[in-house]
Amino acid sequence: MLTEYGTKHAVHVITNHFGDLVAKVCECLLRKGPLTRQNVKRYTELSDEQVKNALLVLIQQNCVQAFTTEQPDGFADGPKANTQYVVLFDNILHRVRFAKFLTILSQEFDQQCVELVQGLLEHGRLTLKQMFDRAKSSEKEGNLVDLDSLRETLVKLVTAHYVERCPASEPLLMPISEEEGPARKKGSKSAKKIGEPETIEQQVVEAALPMEAMRFSVVTNVESDVGEKEKNSNNVTPGEKRKHDVLELDECGVADEQSVVYRANFEGFIRRLRHKGCIDHVRAHLDDGAANVLSAMLQATSSAEKKVKTKNSVPLSLSSIYEEVIKSEAGRNMTLDHVRASLVQLGELSFVDASSDSYSIDFEKIIEIAQNEEVESVVSKRYGRDAYRIFRLLSKSGRLLETDKISDTTFVEKKDAPKILYKLWKDGYLLMEKLVVTGARQSQFLLWKVNRQILWKHVLDEMFHAALNLSLRVSYELDREKELLNLPADKRTGPLQDRYNRIRKVRILLESSQMKLDDAILLFHDF
Amino acid sequence: MSKRKRPDSNAPSDSLTDHERLIYDVIRSNKQDMGIWTRDMKRELKVNLPDNIVTKSIKSLQNKSLIKEVVNIHNKGKKHLMAVEFEPSKDISGGAWYSEGSLDTEFIKVVKSQCLKQIIKLKVATLEGISDSIKRSGAFKVDLTKQQIEEIVRAVVLDNQIMEVKSNGSGEFTNIPVGKVCYKNVSKGGGGGEPKTGSSASVPCGVCPQINFCTPDGVISPKTCVYYTKWLDF
Repeated sequence: MLTEYGTKHAVHVITNHFGDLVAKVCECLLRKGPLTRQNVKRYTELSDEQVKNALLVLIQQNCVQAFTTEQPDGFADGPKANTQYVVLFDNILHRVRFAKFLTILSQEFDQQCVELVQGLLEHGRLTLKQMFDRAKSSEKEGNLVDLDSLRETLVKLVTAHYVERCPASEPLLMPISEEEGPARKKGSKSAKKIGEPETIEQQVVEAALPMEAMRFSVVTNVESDVGEKEKNSNNVTPGEKRKHDVLELDECGVADEQSVVYRANFEGFIRRLRHKGCIDHVRAHLDDGAANVLSAMLQATSSAEKKVKTKNSVPLSLSSIYEEVIKSEAGRNMTLDHVRASLVQLGELSFVDASSDSYSIDFEKIIEIAQNEEVESVVSKRYGRDAYRIFRLLSKSGRLLETDKISDTTFVEKKDAPKILYKLWKDGYLLMEKLVVTGARQSQFLLWKVNRQILWKHVLDEMFHAALNLSLRVSYELDREKELLNLPADKRTGPLQDRYNRIRKVRILLESSQMKLDDAILLFHDF
Repeated sequence: MSKRKRPDSNAPSDSLTDHERLIYDVIRSNKQDMGIWTRDMKRELKVNLPDNIVTKSIKSLQNKSLIKEVVNIHNKGKKHLMAVEFEPSKDISGGAWYSEGSLDTEFIKVVKSQCLKQIIKLKVATLEGISDSIKRSGAFKVDLTKQQIEEIVRAVVLDNQIMEVKSNGSGEFTNIPVGKVCYKNVSKGGGGGEPKTGSSASVPCGVCPQINFCTPDGVISPKTCVYYTKWLDF
């Protein structure tokens, strides 16, 4: 269930990138859920052509996925296939993160890789031929692009799971029967926990995904196939046969280059950002040594991760960890004792589980601590230090506590505690229950609790609200100074130059804040 | 902080007027460490005394050091009267950490600071270790009980200046039984007692008290927001 500001923020992103018309269709799907084209037309009151074009743009840009369901029509003809469209909310959020994705790539790959993915992010999805045409059109002298090297680049990215084949255009979604429900959910990789119902979005995405081997494959091996066919042939002269086979395979290869569509694999980038987030958190809590050890463990085990929200890494022995640590420049100077000591420190904070001489990262714990700190920081800055202690007490205890007990434990004045608790409750940070005790006199007690599940949703909505506000303020500021920004540099003198300097600083601050806030959204929504 | 010992309950009283005797008896006969609210006391008097007589008598008894006034921390307007020989119950006075109806914030700050100092000195400390260390330091004229130390240490954990860990019996936990609760200084995170500013808290909206009233085109909006204007005032 999307929150109000989650929806508003997503619509705003689509408006900025694709205009009002596409945003209207997107908002309709966000608010109403999956719809047929007819129903989108009905709710948006747009023409058929407009709805079609908007959907095409959203599908091209991976923000909407079409799917079919079987509708039994009650007549002898049998069930009818019915195409609906579901919005991919996560992919809309990813649109503001493209710069972060490209930064990751630039740290691991060369410029050609970065440019290829840049093209995929810009255009949504491309065939190899389209990638080649795009690269050719921006070719610089002395830096010619050839298809083979581009294909190699694509293979590198697909192997690293940063690029994938596009999913099926209209997968069939089978209805889940009541008996099948929990059993099916158990095996699903997109369900957060066993038993937690999958959303339609998750079901459709899963149904559309190609098989793993297909998803991360690129057709490359033209020459060796030619060799195989040659061996088997007897009757035709070698030259003619070879020419015939190459032509045949060339046609297949060319067909693939023009038909197989690829896109950026957001999951791959989010997984990498999650790792990076964990490393940064460990560095902030402990030191560089511990961060190097964690980084090495991630390096050694990340290929075994099946999904983004993996709970634990594959266990590693101390010697395997050490071997990985000393591979990196940062870890080269670490001794085995130093690595062991860092693992002990990580274990104390429960960031790493140690059992039977093997070590495994507890991602959930690292992320849980990071999330707690984020919320506690808001409570401290918004409501003060007393509220901070009260919130931490309730958050750690996880159960209902009575007002007096809270004030005693947190050393907050008896007269102040109820006011703080009430304020936190009114703003959605606490739950409150009344307990009436009847005895000689009737007494009423107020009990308070932090409910993480409800609160986290509320906090995320506030973050979406803040993200929307930042974006609106950027637009407002730039719009106000539109004429000034269009003025040539030599005409900006005196007060105009001061205003220009101001707007530059404002833009840098607001845009960097948007990126920083997005880190918090990643922490609560994607990690 | 006052830590007077409880005297016996047969303290001799000076010569009292009849009114004073009446009032003194009512005060003394009530739950000794709870005292009695002035208004309740007036109700319990067998004779109906005018207010000015009651007030004068109370003042006289106080001057003769026979009774004292204790502020009820649940309601500072309600003054309780009790015989001087009794310590007010925690329900009325708030306990060791309250002084005259309010939290003794200075004292609490000092004890917190001492606990933190000892934990930093010991690197890893149990409650007993902290308690012994404070006793040996002679920082306080009176001995703090183990319960008092525990209350303060828990509050310092809530301040995120120290963390609670369990001993694993080895390394820095050698000499501490496995599983025993210990306390360590938080190395970085809560530096100086201030929580690290999170991503959300570093933008005006993240800490805005008006966030629930803010809408894109409302009276309170990102375009009209005074907090933004101040933040962007270069």
